[in-house]
Amino acid sequence: MHKIEADVQISLLEENRKYAGENREFLREHGVVSFNLMGATGSGKTMLIEKTADKIGEKYRIGAILGDVAGDDDFKRVKKHGVKAKMVNTGKECHLDAHFIHHAIEDFADVDVLFMENVGNLVCPVDFDLGEDYRIVMVSVTEGDDVIRKHPEIFRLADAIIINKISLADAVECDVDTMIRDAKRLNARAPIIKMDLKKEIGIEEWIEWFVDAVERAKKLKGV
Amino acid sequence: MSFAQSLIDNVVRIAEEKGAKKVSKVVVEIGKLLMLNPEQLKFCYEVVSKGTIAENSELELIEVKPIIKCSICGKEYDTPFAICDCGGVLTVEGGKDAVIKKIEMEI
Repeated sequence: MHKIEADVQISLLEENRKYAGENREFLREHGVVSFNLMGATGSGKTMLIEKTADKIGEKYRIGAILGDVAGDDDFKRVKKHGVKAKMVNTGKECHLDAHFIHHAIEDFADVDVLFMENVGNLVCPVDFDLGEDYRIVMVSVTEGDDVIRKHPEIFRLADAIIINKISLADAVECDVDTMIRDAKRLNARAPIIKMDLKKEIGIEEWIEWFVDAVERAKKLKGV
Repeated sequence: MSFAQSLIDNVVRIAEEKGAKKVSKVVVEIGKLLMLNPEQLKFCYEVVSKGTIAENSELELIEVKPIIKCSICGKEYDTPFAICDCGGVLTVEGGKDAVIKKIEMEI
């Protein structure tokens, strides 16, 4: 037996990049605008899809791929709002990756907008491009006003940042201005939308950004 | 865990292609912005390598720092954020990949 050394150059993210590229191409071909929706468990991701579908009405056909470790609770919720939905159980994985999406995406060639709701987690999803057009990061005041600076990478790369449940800020002693300052320090281009989904605060601002984002992406895709 | 699994899948595949009986060491460059905990990755690697020809192999991790620079004044920073003291936008390059560089094995 003798020893050898092999010099190699293999990226562990290469496979994800390949699937993400294929997903992006599929979505472009079918004129689908996609949003990777990230945020902690309970931050309001599923409700954002529900409320967006209600507000948008017939304007766009909305689809959603819902990533969760287990269960179909989110799936049942969004279906009631006329969203074409598919559940993806990730099992032990704490994030969606492009391969999960690759399997699910074929059912969504006929929608205008596709939400890819990631697993509730502010760390792992950031490294896995799904082939999306936009990254939305949602956070709620109940997570503490230091949550944004504790997770710099996900906020740095976001296209829109939503701070949800702002009506509860005083009750949980959360300083929303601190969150906004941290978000601006990390990301100069993403809009920061203060929201309370249950009280319908900030929804108009979100819908305005959302429609503009969809139209911009459609133009780029030649739809 | 998914990084460890992808790592071991690639290592075993290459080692088998080379006709190796055993993998003794693997060298991987890890981008700092991946925020992977090296100890955790080593532990996961140990778990997923069990029962493969890479069992008990050493995993060496080399941290790769991103280049974070102001697009106007050129000042460099250690951690990424949005705007430099001078008002310029910071650009961030690299530090986001995980790359296998070397595999030592016995044939």
